[in-house]
Amino acid sequence: MQLPGLETWIAAFLTLACMSFLYKDNPFFRFAESLFAGISLGYFIGITLNQTLVPNLIQPLHRDFAQNWDLLVPGLLGVLLYMRYVPKIGWISRYALSIYVAYYIGLDFTRRIHGEVLPQLARAIVPLTRFDSHTIFYSLIFSLGVFSVLIYFFFSKEQDAVTRRIARLGIWFLMISFGAAFGFTVMGRVALLIGRLNFLILDWIYPMVGLG
Amino acid sequence: MAGMLDKLLSLDRRWIFLLVLLCVGTPIVMPIGLPVTTTGSTRAAFDYIESLKPGNYVWISFDYGPSSAPENDPMAEAFLRQCFAKKIRVIVCAFYPLGGLGLATNSLAKVTAEYPNLRYGEDYVNLGYKDGAAAVMRRLGEDIAEAFPADVRGTPLAQLPIMKGLRSIRQVQLVCSVATGVIGEYWITQVHSQIGTPIIIGPTAVAAPKYYAYLNAGQLVGMLGGMKGAAEYEKLLAARYPDMAHFYQSTRGFTATKGMDGQTVIHAVIILFILVGNVAYIMSRRAAQKKGA
Repeated sequence: MQLPGLETWIAAFLTLACMSFLYKDNPFFRFAESLFAGISLGYFIGITLNQTLVPNLIQPLHRDFAQNWDLLVPGLLGVLLYMRYVPKIGWISRYALSIYVAYYIGLDFTRRIHGEVLPQLARAIVPLTRFDSHTIFYSLIFSLGVFSVLIYFFFSKEQDAVTRRIARLGIWFLMISFGAAFGFTVMGRVALLIGRLNFLILDWIYPMVGLG
Repeated sequence: MAGMLDKLLSLDRRWIFLLVLLCVGTPIVMPIGLPVTTTGSTRAAFDYIESLKPGNYVWISFDYGPSSAPENDPMAEAFLRQCFAKKIRVIVCAFYPLGGLGLATNSLAKVTAEYPNLRYGEDYVNLGYKDGAAAVMRRLGEDIAEAFPADVRGTPLAQLPIMKGLRSIRQVQLVCSVATGVIGEYWITQVHSQIGTPIIIGPTAVAAPKYYAYLNAGQLVGMLGGMKGAAEYEKLLAARYPDMAHFYQSTRGFTATKGMDGQTVIHAVIILFILVGNVAYIMSRRAAQKKGA
């Protein structure tokens, strides 16, 4: 019989401490919560330093400064972000922040237009010229859904008797999509519980009782 | 009757938590083995990888953390097993900061142990974690070595045989992103839309509804929605590769197929809760209306 290791005991204790909140708030839960927040932050700093800053900035500068001196510019911009902690020269951080924001606006703009808006707009135009089962059960319902939901979100004109009915149909389509999203959310949350219970039963309890 | 309805409506929610715990825990101790049916999006993903040739490149991105590992781990491991069985070269990276790299390393170690002939640096490589996913992906289209100068062990990419001749992600035949949040969307909108590389997404169930829009718009080759998608993929793998069928049936470890027993039981119980709750609410409202009249 092989007893579970120390790391399994710690993980089991922390899992039970988190689950104990379901009964009521308690010091074990608050300890686990604070520990998780602290470790996550420490891990994030460590992994960014070791996996991004060192190989992409520090090592290239150290290895061949003449070839990689331009890396000093983004490195310096990163340092400037921390100037906000020096009140007298805090304004300098805004330059770095503005470049950072502008870069991501540029990146995101093309990403959204070419990656989301245009392809999905193109696929929303479906043929309704044939009367086969696919047209009736998919294309027609799909077109009705897109049209009625768009009418629901059209706020520039007050709704009249006709548009109000179409918008109401749009609400039904939205409700069905929210229902599907809720079903998926339940599945996702239950999956997390299954994962934790698998760990507690197969990795912790079974080895303890000699079934591991 | 009215007293029972009042009791039902004011039931302490902790009794429901306990029932959920029992419904999920029992199938783990006593597996039921309920059947799993496959869907078109999962079959499309499976068939696409099956259509690749030995020596092709598949990029597997671990874009999730421990919080969604029960859903995402089985997907990632199934992708790895299929690629290694077909002798496809695998490049692994992680864009999720909190644990993505640790999970990538664990999954690689677990699956490569099943294929002793595989050699690190020739058949597969782990490029590690990189911050700023969207910006890094843009760089991957120009020069992989500028985004990832070295692998997770610190070896420069130029010294890795698997990376010889591979300069851009354009040369990769497929990207599989196993994702918990927005990073999967970056792969679609940044890499597929602007570079053209085919993408398969394995999202968590919570994120799956939004990826259907990309799937229906033809921007994805296939998709595995949550634990159900992972279980479907395991079933397809087991049907295609007899060795894996034996593995999935014999392993004591966690698989998505085993997890689906608990999912099915708890979904039935939740549907029952919703029905009972609604009936009790309607009946109590009617009783109140009768009293008022």
